[in-house]
Amino acid sequence: MDLYFKALGMHIKTSCEYKLSSIINFIAQFFVMFSDYFIIIALFSKFGNIKGFTLYEILLCYSIIQLGYSINDVFFKGLDDFSDIIINGMFDRLLVRPRSLLIQILASKVSLVRTSRIIQCIGIMIYSIINLDLELNLIKVIVLLLMIIGSVVIFFSILLLMSGLSFFTVQGLEIKSLFTYGGKQIAQYPIAIFKKYIVLFFTFVIPYGLVNYYPYLYFLGRNDNVFYAFAPLGTLIFLGISLVVFKLSSNKYVSTGS
Amino acid sequence: MSFIDVNHLSKTFKVAKRNSGLKAALKSFVNRKYVSIDAVKDVSFKINKGEIVGYIGPNGAGKSTTIKMLCGILKPDSGSISINHMSPFEERKKFVKDIGVVFGQRSQLWWDIPAEDTFDLLKVIYKIDDKEYLETKNKLVEMLDIKDVIKMPVRQLSLGQRMRCEIAASLLHKPSILFLDEPTIGLDAVSKEKVRNFIIEINKKYKTTVILTSHDMNDIEALANRIILIGRGSKLFDGTLNDLKAKFGNCRKVTIITNDTLKKFNKKGVCKRTKTDIGYEFIIDINLISISSFVNYVGEYVDISDIDIDSDNIDNLIIKLYQEYNI
Amino acid sequence: MRLYFNLFKNKLITNISYRMSAIAGILTQFFFGFVFISVYVAFFESGNSDLDLHKIVSYIWLNQAFYGLTYIMLKDNDFVSMIKNGNIAYELCKPINFFKKWFSTFYGIRVANVLLKFLPIICIAMLLPYPYKLEAPVSIMGFALFVVSLIISSFLVTGIAYIFHILIFFTLDDRGIINIFQVLGEIFSGGSIPLYLFPGFLQTIAYALPFRYISDLPYNLYTGYFSINEGISLITCSIIWLVVIVIIGNILTKLALNKSVIQGG
Repeated sequence: MDLYFKALGMHIKTSCEYKLSSIINFIAQFFVMFSDYFIIIALFSKFGNIKGFTLYEILLCYSIIQLGYSINDVFFKGLDDFSDIIINGMFDRLLVRPRSLLIQILASKVSLVRTSRIIQCIGIMIYSIINLDLELNLIKVIVLLLMIIGSVVIFFSILLLMSGLSFFTVQGLEIKSLFTYGGKQIAQYPIAIFKKYIVLFFTFVIPYGLVNYYPYLYFLGRNDNVFYAFAPLGTLIFLGISLVVFKLSSNKYVSTGS
Repeated sequence: MSFIDVNHLSKTFKVAKRNSGLKAALKSFVNRKYVSIDAVKDVSFKINKGEIVGYIGPNGAGKSTTIKMLCGILKPDSGSISINHMSPFEERKKFVKDIGVVFGQRSQLWWDIPAEDTFDLLKVIYKIDDKEYLETKNKLVEMLDIKDVIKMPVRQLSLGQRMRCEIAASLLHKPSILFLDEPTIGLDAVSKEKVRNFIIEINKKYKTTVILTSHDMNDIEALANRIILIGRGSKLFDGTLNDLKAKFGNCRKVTIITNDTLKKFNKKGVCKRTKTDIGYEFIIDINLISISSFVNYVGEYVDISDIDIDSDNIDNLIIKLYQEYNI
Repeated sequence: MRLYFNLFKNKLITNISYRMSAIAGILTQFFFGFVFISVYVAFFESGNSDLDLHKIVSYIWLNQAFYGLTYIMLKDNDFVSMIKNGNIAYELCKPINFFKKWFSTFYGIRVANVLLKFLPIICIAMLLPYPYKLEAPVSIMGFALFVVSLIISSFLVTGIAYIFHILIFFTLDDRGIINIFQVLGEIFSGGSIPLYLFPGFLQTIAYALPFRYISDLPYNLYTGYFSINEGISLITCSIIWLVVIVIIGNILTKLALNKSVIQGG
């Protein structure tokens, strides 16, 4: 981790080299993300509710998912853009250094201008919670934190899986957006409002449901089951699998060559 | 056992075939053909500690594939590599602590900030302790004359300055082997000289083993006492520069300046012919044809306005070598 | 004209040839189609609405099928790097119409984006069960107007994308400000949701802007949301906008040329 934090400092230094451009981008990123919220608000203006969930409940749900996504986008951007490292040949450089590949990949890129997205998510989260008139207690705060961590873990795991894929082909990586951006679209809403097969897929394959549905019901006070409250921990299994896949594919890549 | 011991090394790649045009593009969309390429075939050599070896060959000969296998980046299909009693690929993380690599066309320096920051990052990567790091850094900075250079953002540096920083970066952890891939590419004469002198200096001082690939034969001539030539994946020659000269040093470059056009002709001993703006350039083998008879021969067909004979140039040697082995 | 057609063709060929990419693209569009439709299905199951689910579903599939053609945010990295490294000055001075050249190039990229994808998406979407099915067009005339307006849309979006790109020459920032414009354009084109789902005053704004002719008009002509008469007058408006966009594009190009001549590159 020392390596990652050292690199983080250097990324900050780089951003400071281009102050004006960084500030403009910081603001732009805020707007870019706002369009998703706009669509939710527009749809609610026509429909009123979705399977009993109200506007603020959905905004809160989405801000949690979005926060997990944004944290990955800022701090683990190197993993997101890993295919670039393969394409421009920088991967060879990582291999001739005596440190773990994953740490080096994470250290390779950080997108600080996107921190505005994180700020936006937290803002919307607080705004929704205020409007929802919830009774907050310690456990609920812990559940909220678990949901946020689970959200970070899911997106991180997806990025890992996709990086594993880029060892085999750097073409057709559009498919990545299917799991990150597409998953994010669907996870705007608590998974259970969808048809059965979608629910199953997004509980057991990509476990968005473990973050934005089961614990969310607990958080909203609609369910008292403690298992529901701690469901986000289940995302760690997904992380474990993704780590193994990444490891195996990187080994395979190195032994066969580009 | 030698310091570096390479035995019967081979590597094959599978490459997708593709033709041009819309039709071919659509065709390869459905059905794609693959071709196997033997990048490296049964290559063996030994290198002792403290040697500087020039690893040369035309593009696509298998140079970088060999270097990648020596660095532990690629796994050999067959054969073995032992470097300092380690197998580069199998023990990669341990092995790479002891090597430095400069890819001449691929920088490891961070573009927007001073090189010194990259050095600090490398200190963390290689877990070098503070005192040792400072000592090594100061020494390298002094030897390469980059004291002020490393304080400027890399993007503002000249190519030569950048390359010197690049080399310093790859030596901070005091590796016992240094791989240099095209270290002087694109540099001006003064910078080239500085880089070459430095390489000789660290080789003398620290007994650093240097493996060098370059297209600039002057690099090879200035640095390497030993040359390994590779072509189409196979080792073709392994020996000192003097051996090479004794074997193939009978080539001369003859430049003929003329306004006339010379028809194609076949004559024994003429290895290569190039048309230039002002005339022709020939490489001839003086064991087969003497310079005077060659000039007389050409003089029968064209009006020679000037002539220049360049002897003992290693470029000529290499051209002759490539031709000898038909690569 | 021949030159520009060749530029178009070259871009088309070089951008079309990745098999994996096309398949992945089709999968992605399908996935997103399902996601969006699932959301609407859930909304419709939650309460009464006077809206027509079929029309929205068809709209979504058409949007997915032609996404690569009508996507406003598509960026050409060659163009951006040409501005950043200053080579654009040489390009502008060449005796070849800069606007036409890059218009043809951008158009080639866009056509390559959809050429292999749109038919499979449309065919499969038509075979899907209710409520995911893409309905057949409501009338032959409506379908004809859809085709016409889609072709105009493809020119219009290329022109707008060109303006976004040439603006980078003046702002020298290829992300910040341009990104904001592009996101707004995307929303107001109907590329995210049909404009008739917008809340009142935003709908008024959206209908006044040229972006509406990019996605909203053609797909709603197909679904029959707009009548034939409305369609004809809207298509006329879109042609006027196209002319305006082309003129603006040319003016900006001329300004860029003047600026680069004054600065000497």
